[in-house]
Amino acid sequence: MIALRRSIQVAVPALVVLVCVSDLLSPSQQSVPLWLYALNYIVPGAAFAIAGLVAWSLRPANHMGLLMMAVGVGLLIGAAGILTPVSPLARTISEFLRLRVGHPSDYLFLALGPLWAVVILHLLLAFPSGRLGARLSRGLVAALYVFVPLISLIGLSVPFEVGLGSWLQIGYTTVRSVVYQTCFAVGFVLIMKRWVQGGRARRRSLSPVLWSLAPLSVAFLTPTLEGVLQQVIGVPDAGPLVDSTNAVALASPLFLIVLPIGFLVGLLRSGLDMTSVASLVVRLSSGLLPEQLQPALAKALHDPSLEVAYWVPALESFADLNGRRVELPGPDSERAASILDGAASPVAALVYDSSLRHEPQLVETAAAAVRMALENAGLQAQLKAQLEEVRQSRARLVEAGQRERQQVERDLHDGAQQQLVALLLALQATRAEAAQYGDKRTAAMLGANIAALKQALVELRELARGIHPSILTEAGLVAAIQSLGERCPIPVQLDAEYSDRLPSHLEATLYFVTAEAITNAVKHSGGGRIQISLRRRSGIVALDVCDDGKGGADLAAGTGLRGLSDRVAAVGGQLTVKSHHAGGTTIHSEIPCA
Amino acid sequence: MVRDVLIVDDHRGFRREAKRLMEQIGFRVVGDAGTGSEAIDKVRQLNPDVVLLDIQLPDLDGFAVATALASLPEPPAVLLVSTRDAVDYGSRLSNCSAVGFIAKAELTADSLLALLGSR
Repeated sequence: MIALRRSIQVAVPALVVLVCVSDLLSPSQQSVPLWLYALNYIVPGAAFAIAGLVAWSLRPANHMGLLMMAVGVGLLIGAAGILTPVSPLARTISEFLRLRVGHPSDYLFLALGPLWAVVILHLLLAFPSGRLGARLSRGLVAALYVFVPLISLIGLSVPFEVGLGSWLQIGYTTVRSVVYQTCFAVGFVLIMKRWVQGGRARRRSLSPVLWSLAPLSVAFLTPTLEGVLQQVIGVPDAGPLVDSTNAVALASPLFLIVLPIGFLVGLLRSGLDMTSVASLVVRLSSGLLPEQLQPALAKALHDPSLEVAYWVPALESFADLNGRRVELPGPDSERAASILDGAASPVAALVYDSSLRHEPQLVETAAAAVRMALENAGLQAQLKAQLEEVRQSRARLVEAGQRERQQVERDLHDGAQQQLVALLLALQATRAEAAQYGDKRTAAMLGANIAALKQALVELRELARGIHPSILTEAGLVAAIQSLGERCPIPVQLDAEYSDRLPSHLEATLYFVTAEAITNAVKHSGGGRIQISLRRRSGIVALDVCDDGKGGADLAAGTGLRGLSDRVAAVGGQLTVKSHHAGGTTIHSEIPCA
Repeated sequence: MVRDVLIVDDHRGFRREAKRLMEQIGFRVVGDAGTGSEAIDKVRQLNPDVVLLDIQLPDLDGFAVATALASLPEPPAVLLVSTRDAVDYGSRLSNCSAVGFIAKAELTADSLLALLGSR
């Protein structure tokens, strides 16, 4: 198949060049008028052949290109026939193709030659898919494919010169003309009908073809160029081809010169429609907002009235984005609809101008793209919902953890610490009594126990504070950070622009970030000063803890900062670390707060 | 002159030991209370010179009780106590009308006398 295609791609341009060059090889001035006449075939023939080749290369699966090349080749063979008397090359071509069928001047290609006109009609009716759709179109084209060669053969075979020859010839040519003209008129009506009934997409591709038929219409209304050429430049007898009643002569082929261009442009425009649908697919894959889908689809299908309706299970009906019900059109309506089915129920429906029924491939492609996009959107929404659920779940876990820490601290305070404090006071009282009664040994032993108990209480207090600082609950984040600063061995300056309370889990998160950052600065930075700033703007609380130490902190390197980052992320925030060698370290946290 | 003291704490064991300690250094314990509102009522009723007031109470906290007591015609001297450290309260302590704060673990005759003066 590829070899055949390559052969045609080589043979057609070769034929074009050959026929054109053959004229240059004409031996005498006598050939000039004949050459002009031959141009009448060569120019449109070459145009059809080249345009067909281009179309076939661009759309190999579409038969339009092959049909156009067939027209081109037919016209070029006709030109070769005209140039046979004067061009040795054309003579060679003609002799190669000729086949005697009973009459001395018969050539099979003369019988088949006029078929290019039928192929043009075939092209017009099959445009742009290359396939004949309606039964009437198929019947008309098939009839002409049989009738035209047959009637040409009859014309070539009947001896009109004898007997009733003149009357027979008149009758024959009249019938032939009427049949030709009727067939072409029916063909023209069929094409116009397709244009009138077609939607914008169909008209876009048909318009160039119809415009390119305009010169042909002129040819119908004026004497053919052949006649003009015969009279003006005195074309000599060129044989049966210069028969003004021949199908070829219905319209001079020169009038067809723009037709291949029209076909090519129309075909490309038709392709552009698919291209616009392909662009739609690309746009859909990159994620269109629901409100952008309808305009994009309307543009791709060239139907501004197109609507996208979504299935609403609660309503058991389709509705637009504003929630308005959309009734799907009936079969006789001027609107048409394509329902996009999902796994269990419809997903959406496209409601469009009924003219798009003639573009099922376009609509099906666009609908498939929309279905895919909607399914993707559904999956994305599902994923987003799951992520949101995970985020909320993580935030709930953080809150629950925070509450538990607070409870543990309170239990320590109300339970063990109180008991130990009472015990301490009791021991102190006992020691005082022992001392009072002169029992120094007991007093000393009690003193040692009291010291140990005090140390235990200090450690217990630190533990409780580490679990949850009570000041955070009772006085808020600013007071708690101030308290951290007061206990820090290096100076801490706090610049707080607000003092409102935040949700407790957010305060706890920011507090522990500050505490950890201060601990890191004291332990590792070697700096002499810590600057803390706390700001709240546009629903965001921003905390910066900066030291003037040696830098080198890396979020990815250690588990401490990573843990802080996770803690901030758990409440929907973000933690970043800026740390330059000898340039200090800044730990920046941002947490959203309503 | 013996000064009267009211001990306010929700922990009975602490109240018992604090009473013993206060009496040891020469104060007369005129009563005790387990909640903030009870403390305010008893101060009005008993008119003590000193209130040993725990910060963590089941209803009002010690700061709120101290503020309420400061508004009385003859406010008592309020000494705040807590199992927690002063750093756990930050500036709230310095902004409070109390005469001082002692962590319970540091509550001794000497620390009390240093803040409340001699018997």
